[in-house]
Amino acid sequence: MSEISLNNVCKSFGGVQVIDGISLDIESGELVVFLGPSGSGKSTLLRMIAGLETIDEGELTIGGKRSEHLAPGQRDVAMVFQNYALYPHMSVRENMAFGLKNIRMPKDEIERRVNDAARILEMDALLDRRPAQLSGGQRQRVAIGRAIVKEPAAFLFDEPLSNLDAALRVRTRVELAELHQRMQSTMIYVTHDQTEAMTLADRIIILNDCQIEQIGTPMDVYLYPNSRFVAGFVGSPGMNFLQAELSGTAGKQQAKLGDGSQIELSVDLGPGAYELGIRPEAVRVSATPAATTGTATVVERLGERTLVHLRLEDGTELIAQDGGHSEVKPGDLVHLTFDTSQLHLFDDKGRAHHAK
Amino acid sequence: MTPTTIKRINWVGGIFTVFTVICAILWAFPIYWGIISSIKPEDEVIRPYIELWPETLTFEHYWFALTETQIGTWYINSIVTAVGVTVLTVSTSLFAGYAISQLRFPGRTALWWLILASFMVPTQVLIVNHFVLMADLKMLNSWAGIILPQLIHPVIIIVYKQFFDQVPKDFREAAAMDNASEWDILFKIYIPMNWGVTTALSIVIFIWAWNAFLWPFLAVTKTEMMTITVGITQVFDAFGVYYARQLSAAVLAGFPVALAYLLFQRRVTQAITLSAGIKG
Repeated sequence: MSEISLNNVCKSFGGVQVIDGISLDIESGELVVFLGPSGSGKSTLLRMIAGLETIDEGELTIGGKRSEHLAPGQRDVAMVFQNYALYPHMSVRENMAFGLKNIRMPKDEIERRVNDAARILEMDALLDRRPAQLSGGQRQRVAIGRAIVKEPAAFLFDEPLSNLDAALRVRTRVELAELHQRMQSTMIYVTHDQTEAMTLADRIIILNDCQIEQIGTPMDVYLYPNSRFVAGFVGSPGMNFLQAELSGTAGKQQAKLGDGSQIELSVDLGPGAYELGIRPEAVRVSATPAATTGTATVVERLGERTLVHLRLEDGTELIAQDGGHSEVKPGDLVHLTFDTSQLHLFDDKGRAHHAK
Repeated sequence: MTPTTIKRINWVGGIFTVFTVICAILWAFPIYWGIISSIKPEDEVIRPYIELWPETLTFEHYWFALTETQIGTWYINSIVTAVGVTVLTVSTSLFAGYAISQLRFPGRTALWWLILASFMVPTQVLIVNHFVLMADLKMLNSWAGIILPQLIHPVIIIVYKQFFDQVPKDFREAAAMDNASEWDILFKIYIPMNWGVTTALSIVIFIWAWNAFLWPFLAVTKTEMMTITVGITQVFDAFGVYYARQLSAAVLAGFPVALAYLLFQRRVTQAITLSAGIKG
């Protein structure tokens, strides 16, 4: 049974529609990430599940119980806020116990839950400190601890790592993944950072323009984006897009690029003008003449790989990936090969068609 | 920075320091004069020239004020009315400020404008109305009669609203997720988070209420119901007014406030800054 189910939910602020008929089922124990650019409605959707925003239309079920009319505290969900929202005048212990005291939970049970959560998050020594005496990472743990003690049906995370520095973000991300594996609880995680989404999610829900653009596992949305938006949004660096003219018969076609070069591919599409998408790792630098050539403009050395920014003859810009010890320098003329199995064509409506 | 610039700045700084010191002396002189006069014999006080230090030191006026007047009763009246005004003003302003800042209800904006508008009306304009009202309610010569008209401090509501507005809404939402009622949110989150403001405002209201003269002077005619500021006017005997006696009573009246100020200096300054920022 789904732990959380949304059925055709809508939300508007004034006359502006921000969530437009979204339906979604989240399974028990699943970690689902809402991913999308600013203004896509991901945080609003999370807040609607939490009860911090009303649901104008549609149904919300949490743990089998209709919940759209319930107050936030009665929905059996716990939220971790972007700014942690730890009460500054309370100790860590009081912060964690606050929600439990409000429902008149017996003191010994509160004590047990707080101590258990502190042990899970390895913050036993912090319990008597105030939030101001904690580092950013420690505050983040307390915010998670405050959610854990409630033993909710689902955890809601609203961009919880965005206030941490880069190194701490990576570490906390791993800790969150471990926590999820250990607790096997349902989690919804909102982020605009696709690396977080890819590394944490069982399923990613990509939102764009008030609607769900795609639902899938991280590799699904990465390898088989179903729209140009998803293709461009997921992946860092982003997918390369080139104008292409498709000709030939189904199963054996040629895509003619702007610089005149031709790529052979197989895709279920008729002839016509399309946008061709290919990820940087599917564009390789070749020592011998290959599909096309480009002039290197910028070379980014990332250690284990090198990203080569190129300009093709017709001015199209492209990123190719080379090995860590690449010898390409800016200004070099570079031969490029395309992995045709990783090509995507996008029609004029932005729908994706994947090469075979 | 060139040496010339440094020199110029030092000159400006020096002039400014001298100016502020002169202002401070001018401001503090009446207090000094009052205290010094209260420990002089009456004949020294009324001399037609200025003597900065008493020839004869005496505490007889203090003895008179403490033993021959009802100063003990006046102290009690002042304590009761000032504490009453403080507690009631802070609590009502706190609720009003919270409601206007955090709750959404019909008429909220109108209420806010009404409070802002009432802030423009000087208390003195309303004093006749207050007098008539208190007389009709048979509250003259009572603690309630002194306290009630002094509870009107829109500035405190405005300060509270501003502070509650500044609390990030995440805290309110976190509290809502934590099953907190509106009551819990106010008393367990918003007030403790703004405890410094409450303390500062309480001190400043207490000082206002303690020093209040005009309304208590009108509302009370019975000596035993007077506050200490009004009681000073009663420090005379059959031979008339003795300035030194009145000044000693004034020093005794100001002593608790001065003590409160010394103890909570930082908070008082903060409160005055808070309210002055709005008073403009």
